[in-house]
Amino acid sequence: MSSRVLPDFELLMPKDLGEGLQLLSRHGSDVAIMAGGTDVLVMMKANYRSPYVMSLAGIGGLDHLDWAPETGLRVGALTTVDQIEQSGAVKQHYRALWQAATLFATPQIRNSATVIGNLLRASPAGDCSCAVLALGGTVVLESVDGRREVAIDDFWLDYNLTARRPDEIAVELRLPPPGKGTGSAFRRLTRTHEDLAKLNASARLDVDGKICRTARLAMGCVGPTTQRLPKCEAILVGKAIDEALLKTLDDVIQSEIAPIDDKRSTAEYRRAVAGVLLRRTISQALAD
Amino acid sequence: MTAYSTIGKSIPKIDVKEKVTGRALYAADLKMPGMLYGKIVRCLDHAHARVLKLDLSVAAKMPGVVKVLGPDDIKAHSYNTGVLDLMVPEPVGKMLGDIEDQTVFTKHVKHQGDAICGIIAHSEEAAERAAEKVIVEYEPLPVYLTAEESMQPDAVQFTSLKPGNRAFQLPGEMFPNNAYGWGNVDEAMAAADFVVEDTFYVPKQKQCQMEPHAYIALFDDGGRLQCWTSTQMPKCVHIKLARMFDLPMSRVTVTQTVIGGGFGARLGMIGEPLACAMAMAVPGRPVKVLYTREEDWIASESRHPGKYWMKIGFSKDGAPVAVDALFRSYKGGYYTQGSGVAFTTGSWLGGMYKWGSCRYHGETYYTNHAPCGAYRGYGNPQTNFVMEQLVERACSKLGVDPVEWRKKWHKGVGDDGWCPGVTYPSCALDECLDRGAAAIGWTEKRAKYANQTGVKRRGVGVSVMNHTSGAFPMLLEHTTCTARLNEDATAEIMLACSDMGQGAHTALQQIAAEALGFRFEDIHIKAGDSDSNGFDIGAHASRTIYVGGAAVKSACEDARKELFARAAQYLECTVEQLTMRDKIIYLEGASNRSISAQEICARGVYNFVDAASGQRTGIPGQIQGYSSFLPTSNSPPFAACFAEVEIDTETGELTLIELVNAHDVGKAIHPASVEGNLEGGAQQGMGFALTEEIYYDKNGLCLNNSFTDYKMLGPSDMPKLTTILVENPDPLGPFGAKSAGEAGIVAPIGAVANAVFHALGIQIIEAPITAEKILEAIKKNGGV
Repeated sequence: MSSRVLPDFELLMPKDLGEGLQLLSRHGSDVAIMAGGTDVLVMMKANYRSPYVMSLAGIGGLDHLDWAPETGLRVGALTTVDQIEQSGAVKQHYRALWQAATLFATPQIRNSATVIGNLLRASPAGDCSCAVLALGGTVVLESVDGRREVAIDDFWLDYNLTARRPDEIAVELRLPPPGKGTGSAFRRLTRTHEDLAKLNASARLDVDGKICRTARLAMGCVGPTTQRLPKCEAILVGKAIDEALLKTLDDVIQSEIAPIDDKRSTAEYRRAVAGVLLRRTISQALAD
Repeated sequence: MTAYSTIGKSIPKIDVKEKVTGRALYAADLKMPGMLYGKIVRCLDHAHARVLKLDLSVAAKMPGVVKVLGPDDIKAHSYNTGVLDLMVPEPVGKMLGDIEDQTVFTKHVKHQGDAICGIIAHSEEAAERAAEKVIVEYEPLPVYLTAEESMQPDAVQFTSLKPGNRAFQLPGEMFPNNAYGWGNVDEAMAAADFVVEDTFYVPKQKQCQMEPHAYIALFDDGGRLQCWTSTQMPKCVHIKLARMFDLPMSRVTVTQTVIGGGFGARLGMIGEPLACAMAMAVPGRPVKVLYTREEDWIASESRHPGKYWMKIGFSKDGAPVAVDALFRSYKGGYYTQGSGVAFTTGSWLGGMYKWGSCRYHGETYYTNHAPCGAYRGYGNPQTNFVMEQLVERACSKLGVDPVEWRKKWHKGVGDDGWCPGVTYPSCALDECLDRGAAAIGWTEKRAKYANQTGVKRRGVGVSVMNHTSGAFPMLLEHTTCTARLNEDATAEIMLACSDMGQGAHTALQQIAAEALGFRFEDIHIKAGDSDSNGFDIGAHASRTIYVGGAAVKSACEDARKELFARAAQYLECTVEQLTMRDKIIYLEGASNRSISAQEICARGVYNFVDAASGQRTGIPGQIQGYSSFLPTSNSPPFAACFAEVEIDTETGELTLIELVNAHDVGKAIHPASVEGNLEGGAQQGMGFALTEEIYYDKNGLCLNNSFTDYKMLGPSDMPKLTTILVENPDPLGPFGAKSAGEAGIVAPIGAVANAVFHALGIQIIEAPITAEKILEAIKKNGGV
């Protein structure tokens, strides 16, 4: 049961990153970090309790969205999903992320929710998360002891659990620049348009001529975290992707996923359509 | 067609500015000096349990707490949140078996969210903090989520008054063999050339009104109980509260606040008994009770779900010779509208087609869900989903066009309506079918989609419906109205009819202006005050314009009659010689002899004695028209709906392409409002068919008590939507109007289901028709 009344907490409002990191080094796991607030506040109204809530709103310079052909994309901790949706560079070079952003939640939530917040929520249904996993890249984590980068493949440890240590702030997401033949796509299945995914998928393919050189396939809502599909990827690499090849994924994917019954769908349905969604996502990435 | 001054014009709604600016004051917005907050502590972890121990001692000592109240602290009679007991004579109520099985706080939890105790505190925060300190020990009881479970002989009894947990079945005293209908169904069915039959499931759908329930109650220093509430039935709540707390009605006031949507959710009482019980415990202090969305969900009423069996027999020529049906619904934990939906579900069935014989059994069993009550359509959506799919199956077997079959076999003028003996006074369903079919391109699309291949399949489907305009003669239909003319010849129209956002008050104002011959802006509707408003049975059964509007019209005509009588006296002529233009009454043929309505009204009030003559200067008395209106029919509206869908046969996903909803509305008083009502109804109907259902885990705990997981269709899910108003003025409705409040939800349900059938050749008999069910059905069918 939720409530209009938030539980008691102390609000921390650091003025700069240094102060924020100091506060984290002191209070660590007692702090819920809030960027857009679309997860933290909702959870707090549903009885989630944290002695401290640290808002990043007062820290300048965290809402950047920088693109350069050599370095790729840099997404700040306060960069909203709407910024992604409005970005021509993201639309052109990281189609999967842009597509995820356009489908993500509702316009009001996109105005507030952040991409990095979506990663940190560590939900297997995260739409931006699914796209980011397919696109690859790293999350920059900073603490008073310095910075480190964690590859997105190693970022989610379990449901609602990430590699971020309690004293760290995820300050930036870095996505590598796409190659010449890189295409990507994101698709999802929902009950209504404005909904959490019951199944989502994303693909990034590097194609040379007709041959797929590398493939990164991600799927959500089929396990405790958004996950890669290495067996399916292996089938694509080194081959020209055609309908017949794609059709073989329907069976292969079955051994890579472990969906469950939940509020949004059933394990049986997810299994039945996982291959369909994957095939369509790959085809869409090839057309990118 | 008659030329009207305001009727039929879509003038700006009278509440539009306050609504769109956000300045409308809902109950939750109101603050009063000295106001306290009441928090209801609910059982959240059990759907069926007995309270073994309730310890309020720690909660009582929490900061800011004024009072804690358990079941034994409440001095009030048990009650029934429904209102059917007020709508039928007492002997009929007894026959129906209406009971009052609810208490403010309970020791026997019958559904998740049942109220255990209450906290009154200085702030909402303090009340919430204290609520966390309430200690309750429960003895879990077996949870029954279907009638089939709760009817078992060894099941725990919900109430000793309803043995076997059967809350209701059609009473044998009124309905021989507990069935509604006519003719010999068994014989007719046996003689039928073929039958179609199935058992369907209809879902528990939530009204999803925008405003969560909120109340303020005050037991004032004068010993009067006051309640501010957005109920859609202020006068029913008025008498129900009076009875519950043993107060005369003269010591109870219900003030209706702006209603943020009803759809049946506010039909009868909801949290008023709890808010008032808390206020009675702290005399002199207003107590505000706010429901969260989840509370609204788990502790207020929704649509009756259940299993719905139906069998229809046809002769070779397509005649529907017999229909036999049983709707066994899951009541939830309390009786509330126990008798209503179980009956009307069958009446919509009986009223639709020229059945040679008809037998409908309606029964409902207690289950451990949130109670079921009223929701737009009141049984009609359930029947439409079932009846229209079976009719479609029969049309398919007969090889006849579903539109043509319906045109041939639907009931019309002179036929018995949903209540045998009350005939249809008007019916424009054929025109609805023709115009709807033309608008969607029925003939072309039926042919075009007949032999599809490929992943995406399209289909078009049709459905028809009848509803009602008020529930005469089954239920009491009564509205009183006073039309008081001010001394400047403007008018105050006083009545207790509710505007739930459907635009009723605007339309009633139009009716008043037209009937008085005044301008629209000369009229003010004074509603929502139980002290000054006379009796009205409340907004139910799509009655507000048909019955309330007729009351307004009649009261205004009464006032106008007096106005003209006085004009005749002033002008020394007969009333028949008079006409009124721009509020000036003329003697016909003598334009220099006239008197303004303003002068008549002013002289009626400012009736001075002339100093010279010692005589009064005019005819004294403020003009008041009055009506105590009881209708003599229920003029059902009809509708035909056409839907087009596209189905992805690999994923089961369904896309709504187009919906055409053609409605026989009699006469649209305010066309834009009528269209708005029908469009909103279509959104809810398509939701019933495709996405909406409250569901529970095996312990009876609600899994989707918020908009995160209860999915209504949003703007981007809506198809191209065309609403066609077929205007064929009803001989009995005010200015020809029939109802449009509930009607819109009904026919889209069958139309969407039938479009699925057309697209796939498969019928999905459990609503909502989700992608999961479609894909499973395709698989079972061995493909499409």
